[in-house]
Amino acid sequence: MTLLLALAVLGTLLAGTLFAAVLDRTALPLVAAFGRQRVETEAPDRMNRDLAPAWYLALAAVGLSVVPFAPGLALIDSPVGIVIWGACEALTVVTVFLHGWSPNAPFPLIGAYRYAAIGLPVMLPSMFVLIAAALPAESLSLVAIVESQREIWNVVRQPLGLPLFLVVALALTLRGPMDYADAADIASGTSAEDSGPARAAWQVARLAMLVSVSAIAATVFLGGPLGPVLPGPVWLWLKTAVLMALIVWLGDRVARTTPSRMLGILWVVLLPLSFLDLVISGVLAL
Amino acid sequence: MTDLAVALLAAFAVWTGWRVFRVDSMVRASFSLMLSFVAVGGIGVLLSAPYIGVATVFMMAVEMMVMAIFMVMFMMNPAGLNPMMMVHQHRLSIGAGLVAFIGLGAAVLLSPLPRDPVPEEAQVVAQLGHELLGPSMLIFETAGVTLLATMVGAVILSSRQGRYGAADEGARPPGLTEGGEPAGRRPEGGGGHGHHHHGGH
Repeated sequence: MTLLLALAVLGTLLAGTLFAAVLDRTALPLVAAFGRQRVETEAPDRMNRDLAPAWYLALAAVGLSVVPFAPGLALIDSPVGIVIWGACEALTVVTVFLHGWSPNAPFPLIGAYRYAAIGLPVMLPSMFVLIAAALPAESLSLVAIVESQREIWNVVRQPLGLPLFLVVALALTLRGPMDYADAADIASGTSAEDSGPARAAWQVARLAMLVSVSAIAATVFLGGPLGPVLPGPVWLWLKTAVLMALIVWLGDRVARTTPSRMLGILWVVLLPLSFLDLVISGVLAL
Repeated sequence: MTDLAVALLAAFAVWTGWRVFRVDSMVRASFSLMLSFVAVGGIGVLLSAPYIGVATVFMMAVEMMVMAIFMVMFMMNPAGLNPMMMVHQHRLSIGAGLVAFIGLGAAVLLSPLPRDPVPEEAQVVAQLGHELLGPSMLIFETAGVTLLATMVGAVILSSRQGRYGAADEGARPPGLTEGGEPAGRRPEGGGGHGHHHHGGH
């Protein structure tokens, strides 16, 4: 069973990344990047520069491995599954920062600091909406959170949760309104000095993270593998695919504001909204 | 098997902890310390304390990110890639290190450690929650309020707005060499030299 679940995680990550590349229309540029020459910067931190894409990909894989593919069945069935996902989120901020810091070049560095400044306050609403989702389950285990949604999905019970988590998803996948790391206004930021296979690897990891964050959102807010007629994994894949498309669409449609204004929005609007989400779910759980 | 994993993680934690003082950049030092704590978190998970272990990884990732930003900010080494010395006040730090090592070592050797493995069906996470919000409430809340006060203090220290106007008004960055020209841009109207210098930018 463990082997089957490991295969399910790997297969989902692979197929999901391909689907994300199709959604993003980046499949061809990704393949083409492998043929390009590598750019060398002066005095880089080689270890972190080379390992950052691998860490990003590994965090996406660990995040996906706590997701239950059928009721009661997850590869890592931990009593603190949602905290493991939280650790993946926090380490993603570190990874993106190191990716921008390590080339020792201006644009990547600006992207790295901008992302750290935005990424840290994004962690707070993320934790509050995830804790709010854990309240009705009375457990930090994702398996228990899925079970608690048999009667009614969290997206209905806690209407603020999913919209707030979509902001987190946009930030973790460096996308659209929350892309303060790799945006075009700073010449693709932390990726500005990436070329060739390293650039392709970073983009693949970014697409893989889209799969993981969507699968987590589907599990926490849309009941994960729960659903009639079809088997559990199929429901999870369908919900994940819908959320991936929604996140890509939001990333393409919503404009990005300045980092300073976004900081204000994060601390003054989104953080109190996540408190409200926690209060609503706490009162309902009593 | 678990013993071997704990030993390897402990060795990794000590090695990365030692690297904190041997690397030449604040960013490298911060994230070496983070790796050290990640290894300690792994040991926590192996010792049947999953919440404490995973929460250590999660908290340290956020904290070391914040620490790297604040240290680089106060160290006038914007990229954090300029080589710098990571150790100072040698005598004091050696003394403090020895006292801490002897104290913690004595605590480990002298306190009666539990020998029984944790039973399979024990609800360790729930038990921890009841302990934190029950008998240990005072300690827990004291630590929480202290950390909150520290955070508010750090934000005030790094804030540009102050009681007497903008914090960087009239400030001069230190020279690149001893007593040399200040690094970076001159503040507006910052003395005779400054005006001559503006043409160059």
